[in-house]
Amino acid sequence: MGFLMADKTVQCPKCSQKITISGNPGEIIKATCPSCGNKGRVTFKKIVKKDDIAIEVSKLRKVYGDLVAVNDITFSIRRGEVFAFLGPNGAGKTTTVEMIESIRQPMGGTIKILGKDISTSFDDVKEKIGILPQEFRSFERLTVKETLEFFSKLYKKRASINVIIDAMDLRDQKNKLYMDLSGGLKQRVGVAIALVNDPEIVFLDEPTTGLDPKARREVWAVIASLRDEGKTVFLTTHYMEEAEFLADHIAIIHKGNIIAEGSLEELINKYGQGSILHIKKCKTKDAARILKENGFNVNTKNNGDIEIKIDFKERVLEILSILRHECIDYDSIDIRCSNLEEVFLHLTGARLSEEAYDAR
Amino acid sequence: MMLDKILASFISDLKTFYRSKGTLFWTLAFPVMLILIFGAIFSGVGDIEYELHVQNLDDSEQSLSHQFIQALENTGVIKIVNVSKDADIDSYMDENDIKRLLVIPGNYSETIIASQYPNVTVSVNLSFHYDQSEQQTNQVVKNIISNVVRSMNMGISGGTEIIGIEDIETISGEFSFIDFFLPGMIGFTIMQTCIYGSIERNTRLRKDGILRKLLTTPITRSEWILSKMLFQLFLSFLSAFLIIMVGILVYGLSIHINLLVIILIVATSFLFTGLGMLIGRFVRDEESAGMAGGAITFPMMFLAGTFFPLEQMPEFLQTFAKILPLYYVNEGLRNAMIYLKTDDALFHSIVVLIFASVFFIAGLLLTKWKED
Repeated sequence: MGFLMADKTVQCPKCSQKITISGNPGEIIKATCPSCGNKGRVTFKKIVKKDDIAIEVSKLRKVYGDLVAVNDITFSIRRGEVFAFLGPNGAGKTTTVEMIESIRQPMGGTIKILGKDISTSFDDVKEKIGILPQEFRSFERLTVKETLEFFSKLYKKRASINVIIDAMDLRDQKNKLYMDLSGGLKQRVGVAIALVNDPEIVFLDEPTTGLDPKARREVWAVIASLRDEGKTVFLTTHYMEEAEFLADHIAIIHKGNIIAEGSLEELINKYGQGSILHIKKCKTKDAARILKENGFNVNTKNNGDIEIKIDFKERVLEILSILRHECIDYDSIDIRCSNLEEVFLHLTGARLSEEAYDAR
Repeated sequence: MMLDKILASFISDLKTFYRSKGTLFWTLAFPVMLILIFGAIFSGVGDIEYELHVQNLDDSEQSLSHQFIQALENTGVIKIVNVSKDADIDSYMDENDIKRLLVIPGNYSETIIASQYPNVTVSVNLSFHYDQSEQQTNQVVKNIISNVVRSMNMGISGGTEIIGIEDIETISGEFSFIDFFLPGMIGFTIMQTCIYGSIERNTRLRKDGILRKLLTTPITRSEWILSKMLFQLFLSFLSAFLIIMVGILVYGLSIHINLLVIILIVATSFLFTGLGMLIGRFVRDEESAGMAGGAITFPMMFLAGTFFPLEQMPEFLQTFAKILPLYYVNEGLRNAMIYLKTDDALFHSIVVLIFASVFFIAGLLLTKWKED
């Protein structure tokens, strides 16, 4: 094992002291800050063969009356990646994930988890997956520790409850009743429950819906740590920024169809408008002409603002150089990059549901 | 492994139960309160004057027995009703529904006078006849008589027991209200606990996503239902035990625990849990769950002879009551625990077992975890 050992430098969240820790891939090391004595954990990323397929969905279909909730969708997820299944409310995300979790019966198609067809072998798969259902609330009058112990006893393979409690940063809450926890802590307990059997794949169905921004960030940190531990994460969300922050692989579902799939970079390159440099209140009349003569794609607004499409980041410096050289006068400059919101708008002509934005 | 899962679920339920003050109250304290309230209303607990029928066979000229009777009346809590010397005690008590009667023997005065002579040891026994169905009141009256007797003995001999009391229990065909009420209360409590427990649990667990979560874990539906059933049985026996203890300790009831009682409690738990599962199958939210439970339990509670005998109801309601499972539970428990009518109890147990099989199997078949 020693030859795989790596060093990792982390910053103490309390006193900002930088500490270097050595560890093996997949190892979780308890560390104490030499300056302030603050205790914490450092996770070393697992080495995962990314070519292995964790989940394979083929021509999956579900119809409710006249509504085609899921329309023959096909996708696959590699081991060790965070897969974000993104779409507005009612797009078919939860129906899809619940068919993969065997909660709902598909009307067509096949689902394989870790190479096993779940229509015949779901009982074998159960031991290897951990699930946080949508809007999950655990037993109100059990403590956090009791809750984890209960769910742990349902499995043959059991992870250490204390390790999970530490990993989810629930040490101070472990003896509190579930009903007395805040929304963010409840979701953290929900994720902790999904980990009691040390699963290879973790399904998180809208884990941050209804949480305040701070609580949402806390849950994101937990999901990021799952990726570091080499777990495959299937995340359904209607928050663009959540997918942007966490996902290695994104599929956008709209009206039961997958309308785009790939990494964040791939999606933005394919469907986004690139980056736009925005010059506010340009006071030089010939500025647009000068920039056009230098080969830039320029769009002049009525209020005097100028927008320039940037193909390569090196061109930003070129534009700044021209502005300076030609003595072009302006108020301010900003650069706006394409994001998933723009990709979604481009693909569907609509924004994500209002709820998604309200909850931010 | 299976036992592990069932035990884990049972322990979780137990912890949830004792941490929920509301559930504790409705499951354990409320039935006890009902028994105490109804017992007090219908058994005359709280009377300040007790009626005591006295047959005075002492006809000596000294008539010392009259002093004794006067002393009893002077306590202010005993109202004396004189009984003819010719009356046959058992028939008199039976025909007139008398719960207690004191007989002063013919040699009462004679014995007390004899006791005044030196070197003569004599004693006389008063006979206290009582009906076991009102043990608590009888005990109060007997204590009053004993106190008066003690005072008399002090006055006559300085404390030597010249006058004694002999208890004679009469077997009466009549039972008090509390005899009728207590088994009904056990049936009613098991019904409430099982139906509400089952409906509320299913709707809440479904709403909170716990059923969906369980579906993705290795616990099977049978293991889960078995664990819930075990907990429900535990609650049924716990509440039955508590009600029986109140019956014995507060009302001095003579309660018989036998195999039929155990069978009835087990079958009743399965019956109403099954019924709860059936209702829970069609009720989607918690608010409706309470109303659906009430719609089933309320009519059954009043029509199945829990609080008053069926004979007091119009004939068509009596006929209707006999299609209600709680009627057979109540009658079965009464016959098995109190009246000791084994044949009737056996018949009622069989009917309850049939109801239990039908409802529980239907509940099992129709309850599902999977979403459409």
